[in-house]
Amino acid sequence: MSSLAQADAPAAAPARRVAAKPPRDFDRPRFLRVFVGLFFVVMFAPIALVVLFSFNASRSLQNFDGFSLRWYERFFESETLRSSLLASIEIALITMVVATALGTLLAYGLVRARVRWSGAMNVLMLVPLVTPEIVAGTSALLLFTQVGLELSLTTIVLGHITFSISYVTVVVRARLAALDADVEHAAMDLGATRWKTFALITLPALWPAILAAGLLVFALSFDDFVLSFFTTGESPQPLPVRIWAAIRFGVTPTINAIGTFMLAISAVTIGLAIALPRLLGRRESGLGVLLGREGA
Amino acid sequence: MNESASAEPGASGKPVRAHPAEPGASGQPVRAHPAEPGASGKPVRAHPAEPGASAIRFEGVSKRFGEFAAVDSLDLDVKAGEFFSLLGPSGCGKTTTLRMVAGFEQPSEGRIFLEGSPVETVPPYRRNVNTVFQSYALFEHLDVERNVAFGLKRRKVASDEIRTRVAGALELVELRGRERARPRELSGGQKQRVALARALVNKPAVLLLDEPLGALDLKLRKQMQVELKGIQREVGITFLYVTHDQEEALAMSDRIAVMEHGVVRQCGPPEEIYEQPTGPFVAGFIGVSNLLPGKVEGSGVRVAGAEHCRAEVPGHVSDGDDVQLSVRPEKIWIDDLEEGMVSVGGTIVERVYVGTTTQVIVELAAGARLVALEQNTARARSDDRWEIGDRVRLGWHPEHARVLR
Repeated sequence: MSSLAQADAPAAAPARRVAAKPPRDFDRPRFLRVFVGLFFVVMFAPIALVVLFSFNASRSLQNFDGFSLRWYERFFESETLRSSLLASIEIALITMVVATALGTLLAYGLVRARVRWSGAMNVLMLVPLVTPEIVAGTSALLLFTQVGLELSLTTIVLGHITFSISYVTVVVRARLAALDADVEHAAMDLGATRWKTFALITLPALWPAILAAGLLVFALSFDDFVLSFFTTGESPQPLPVRIWAAIRFGVTPTINAIGTFMLAISAVTIGLAIALPRLLGRRESGLGVLLGREGA
Repeated sequence: MNESASAEPGASGKPVRAHPAEPGASGQPVRAHPAEPGASGKPVRAHPAEPGASAIRFEGVSKRFGEFAAVDSLDLDVKAGEFFSLLGPSGCGKTTTLRMVAGFEQPSEGRIFLEGSPVETVPPYRRNVNTVFQSYALFEHLDVERNVAFGLKRRKVASDEIRTRVAGALELVELRGRERARPRELSGGQKQRVALARALVNKPAVLLLDEPLGALDLKLRKQMQVELKGIQREVGITFLYVTHDQEEALAMSDRIAVMEHGVVRQCGPPEEIYEQPTGPFVAGFIGVSNLLPGKVEGSGVRVAGAEHCRAEVPGHVSDGDDVQLSVRPEKIWIDDLEEGMVSVGGTIVERVYVGTTTQVIVELAAGARLVALEQNTARARSDDRWEIGDRVRLGWHPEHARVLR
């Protein structure tokens, strides 16, 4: 608040001095800064606490008694937790690869095939994004038991792929819609077959979006709980389900360590999704791609 | 354009100056287009294609989208080596026609022949045509050289030859030294040149150009018109050029097909299209619209305002028919009329100064207006002469009026 008061001071000064400084922008109200700042504090404080106490030397969840990595050791020493972590990574990787491939093809079909009902299909495709996960989870569980599929990592992967395709399609479709169809026509006009055109022209143009979508799917799948909970088998269980099971017997500092570790993986993934397209020499960042913005 | 026709006799199929009524006494240039590119110092090569052979032939080609006929029973024959323009307002079917030649659209009816062979079963990537798109459609992730080499690589041309030909094409469009640039680093005019080089380097039988200058500003467009015509003359490839800009079509084409509602209204050399429009649409679309509604009466037309204008009445109209009388503005004289001229009286309602000339708009009667031109030359002291509200007599030689229905 003190900085606010300081900044206001020149405005109250005599007109002569005001003229020396450019007039303040009336379309940038200052109280909004405070509001935005408060929002970030409230949002990040709990997460910061988890990270902080994961390094606590003592068992306490109230007092920080010095830095230590003992809870991380505890995490990695546990056979169950380690296999859960590996299972989660495996699920996320397979989901990423399969959902990205299918979602990209779906986007290509929706934008370029121009079939009848494509308007309706474009909307229907969004349904998995708005379906409550509890519904998706229950229906997946029902389906798997009906057809006699034993619950395992496979069923989790199938569930994750199903909802992830939509995310990929949304991101890739935005990029594809921004790509002038005449660019593909030009390639064919110059002698490239349809397949060559896709491989040589369309795919390179879509790369940033595909990459960003894949990493987004990895992050979503890696920390998904609800759908995993409904479709998981006995063992190994994915990490979020494992944490939930452990927490029923009381919150231990190990949970903080696992939470921090997962946070780090998710943050790295999202960071890659934003940074990689830029590193690959594209002008637009992955963030812009994710938000459906076009490179200028 | 006469120069091109006389330099390559027969290239356009028809003799350009076939019309006997060509007035030698008009005294005024029909068009003032910039210096012809023949003077730019580039060597002019003879057409490699056999002159007079058919490059593209449309036989009863129609394209329907649902109920709407974008192109309606089109018959056209574009000769090898010709600079042929499809001219018309947006939605007239000119771009659809072009896309059917390229293979991006299939005709609903009729047949298209490229160098004599039907193309309906040939996919775009095997047709011996290349397209320059209005949006340029360059490959953003490839540099200029790779963009231009794209077509040759697809056809598995030896890499030595690719290098020579790409260099030659870039030389032709004056882009040497920009081989490594990405499309986004280029200006609009440069992108346009890359698009042109990328298509020309393949030496197609026909180059299809879809409003290639549409995205450029006026000055650059004028400059590119001259260059494009020069390039076409130099490489001798048949150009099928789509545009809605009548000046552009007049300045560059050997022949023009004026289209409206999917139908060709008139097809011929620029002079013929301009001087002898066969219908009100062509007369109105090309140049300044100068149409007087009236009724045929004897050897002329009685126009609104009850004045009778002598004019050659074509055979297919008879007495009492509703027609339009078309007179080009630069053929109209004001006040100091000559013996034997047709004349009408009217009041000046507007003067529009456009630089080299001033348009004088004269109302003959309610709804009947004519535009005449005053030359703003050193000798013409026009400002002292006519003001808004003045009564004037307009006159023209009868052979300069066309009766259109």
